[in-house]
Amino acid sequence: MPRSRFHQPSVLPGFGLTLGFTTFFLSALVLLPLAALLVMAGSMHWADFVRVVTSPRALGSYRLSFGASLLAASINMVFGFVIAWTLVRYEFPARKLVDALIDMPFALPTAVSGIALTSVFAANGWIGRYFALAGIKIAYTWIGVTIALTLIGMPFMVRTLQPAISEVQRDLEDAAETLGAGRFYVLRRIVLPTVLPALLTGFTLAFARAVGEYGSVIFIAGNIPMKTEITPLLIVIHLQEFDYRGAAALGAVMLVASFCVLLTINLIHAWGRRRIAGTAR
Amino acid sequence: MGRMSIALDQVTKRYQGATVVNDVSLDIGDGEFFVLLGPSGSGKSTLLRAIAGLTGVDHGRIALHGRDVTHLAARKRGVGLVFQNYALFRHMTVADNIEFALRVRHVRAAKRRARRKELLRLVALEGMDERLPAQLSGGQQQRVAVARALAHNPEVLLLDEPFGALDAKIREELRRTIRQVQRELGITTVLVTHDQEEAFALADRIGIMNLGRLLELGRPDDLYARPATRFVATFLGAANLLLARESARGISFGAGPVLVPRAAGAPIRDREVVIVLRPEEIELAASRDRLTTAHIADGTVEEILFSGALERLRVRLQRGAAGAHVVRSDDGSDEPHLEITRTQHEQRALPLGPGQSVALGVRRLHVLSTPLSSFTVFAASEDLAQALKDEPLLASLAARMKTRIAVRLEPGAAVGDPQTRCGGAAVIRALPAMANCVRGLLARGAEAVLILPQHARTPQRVLIHCVDESARRATLAVSASLLRHMSAEAVYVGILPSDDAVGAQRPTGMRALLDARSEAQALHGLDVRTELRFGSAASELALRLGESPDSLLVLGIAALTDLESFASLLETPRWPVLVVREPAQPLEGREPERVGDELLRLA
Repeated sequence: MPRSRFHQPSVLPGFGLTLGFTTFFLSALVLLPLAALLVMAGSMHWADFVRVVTSPRALGSYRLSFGASLLAASINMVFGFVIAWTLVRYEFPARKLVDALIDMPFALPTAVSGIALTSVFAANGWIGRYFALAGIKIAYTWIGVTIALTLIGMPFMVRTLQPAISEVQRDLEDAAETLGAGRFYVLRRIVLPTVLPALLTGFTLAFARAVGEYGSVIFIAGNIPMKTEITPLLIVIHLQEFDYRGAAALGAVMLVASFCVLLTINLIHAWGRRRIAGTAR
Repeated sequence: MGRMSIALDQVTKRYQGATVVNDVSLDIGDGEFFVLLGPSGSGKSTLLRAIAGLTGVDHGRIALHGRDVTHLAARKRGVGLVFQNYALFRHMTVADNIEFALRVRHVRAAKRRARRKELLRLVALEGMDERLPAQLSGGQQQRVAVARALAHNPEVLLLDEPFGALDAKIREELRRTIRQVQRELGITTVLVTHDQEEAFALADRIGIMNLGRLLELGRPDDLYARPATRFVATFLGAANLLLARESARGISFGAGPVLVPRAAGAPIRDREVVIVLRPEEIELAASRDRLTTAHIADGTVEEILFSGALERLRVRLQRGAAGAHVVRSDDGSDEPHLEITRTQHEQRALPLGPGQSVALGVRRLHVLSTPLSSFTVFAASEDLAQALKDEPLLASLAARMKTRIAVRLEPGAAVGDPQTRCGGAAVIRALPAMANCVRGLLARGAEAVLILPQHARTPQRVLIHCVDESARRATLAVSASLLRHMSAEAVYVGILPSDDAVGAQRPTGMRALLDARSEAQALHGLDVRTELRFGSAASELALRLGESPDSLLVLGIAALTDLESFASLLETPRWPVLVVREPAQPLEGREPERVGDELLRLA
């Protein structure tokens, strides 16, 4: 009897069992709810669907949600790298403490971080007042939204980069240095390409988290339609008006858009990995 | 050669208080292949990194081709470095790896390409340009690393255990390639390794490091035949170390005097010496009269190991056959065993099996110049002697010197029996009124007397002081022997009387210090720092010791009467003190390293 070509004999037992669990959990927790969402959205008339998802208010919210999330993830790529580098490469007195602080945004209820950020960045807050003097408003603008999303995504980036950076062999940097390369050249040509996969993974995680973020953003965003209203909030508004289908339609758009972004990043990732590992193995 | 390619002057590197590289001075000639050999942790890799500029130094200077680069960044030094783990850039092709140094220097593409082709030919990897490191075998990767390190025409090529990660066959192949490349380019090369076979195969000269110090350097065959230290004798190939007595009649091993003919020359003082017997220089015969060489002992074959071309034997010396104390290098036990190797030819002439008794003869032996041949603890009781033997400082010194600690129970070591001679270094506990005791031991022939206070800490510093210049020779020899076996810094302290209005005697004092420094360097390869102080010698030394408590004092005296002026210093000293006396019958101006030369040819 020909066996499934996926089922290859393995020294590790339990393939059938673990695959069963994987399928069950993914179906129950991810696929079924998502399918329900699509079914709900699909039960609308096409014209209604288009009207809801292309309303100016919806378009504005997409721009803010995806724009701010991409921007926040990009900011995290730079500063998260610096933080991770500092934590891995240097020995300083409060290193352990700083390392523990990184996880705080994971643990805080997002609403709490939202309120905290708002109080600091509002026009009369500790930091906001100085920006207000310069005529820059942070809270209740897209800048505030970006700051909130950066905070939320930062631990994902740092925690992904730390192991990758500690794996960068000092010897590689030493070798480059003896060959005549300066610090910046070594960073650009040796260190960054080596940690690129982790950088992309961190970006993916931070971005995904930011797109779905709700709690921390609504406090600092001010939620002005067309300007500082994020898509998740718009969905909640639809729900409060008992427009479940409209909410599902917006949800479906977010789902597809997020999927496309994540797929793109993963493809880049796979391409990079193939290039580094070579075709031999 | 002529021009010096690499010049190190008193290079010292510390990590968290520990001295990793200790006062290393070294000149490497243009186009020379120099191998730094040492066990792991001996500081050889740190020294290489210091030459490359990847590690700063705490003291000393480094010059490359006459240019002082001590404070120059690695990228400006013009060296090529090859790592044990290749350190290739995995995301770049072989071509990009090799061209890296040229790209950094903005060399044109066409020129880069030409240079790359040339280098790939040199390391026999033509056509591999577009491969990624992961697609190459370990040996090929290391070839790429060598090519990459040579791309920018460095003045110096540095190799840090380059064959460490490769298997034996590839290793040999790559070794040949590197030697060939080095000859073809005539590039000054320093290779770091812990493998003596590798060192022999590649080196023009070998420098042997241990505990951060450069112990000896020389041509491989010279170092093998005439090591100056126990460490080098046992690290370079196998060696049996034996204690013997050297006298005017020759070398004798224990009770039955085995006289070794000696070329006519200066009389040699009666003293205890350490003998190096290479396993291949011992002859075995069925009985004493069948030996073609000088008989040294009889013994019983205990173990035979066949290992290809050579047969390895372990022979137990018969009790009393020679009171010779065999210092075993591997387990430190006092079992009188000798390691012997025999060729196929010798095996056929006399087939041997375990349990068979044999007569041992020696074709060639080498006398080490070390003055600290062994330690003898003098104490009033068994317990006190054991406590002294267990002092960490003494125990670690004896272990590192691979020598024994004998025990003599004497109620009053000082008076003792003046007829019982005492060789090597005597060790006594710090007690009140030590001066008499020290005098007694020195009078009985001890080369030096080590006074140990209770729980003496491992010294970080060795202070050396001689009463006058006539005591310097022996003092420096003992100090050098001591310092080779501990990782401490050496400071030579000169003291001028304080009533000398600062100035008049100063130049003389300075000259004496410089003389001492150059003598230590020339005769013992030992770098010492110097200090000049003013006042009475005993109190200045006490002050200096008080400044840095983790010190050991080496005090050199010319005559026994000199001890009187240091009586206060020797009054229950809180520091370990080693008193050295210039021998009554000096070695007639011969350099210590060469003492054994005349004794070498016996057959």
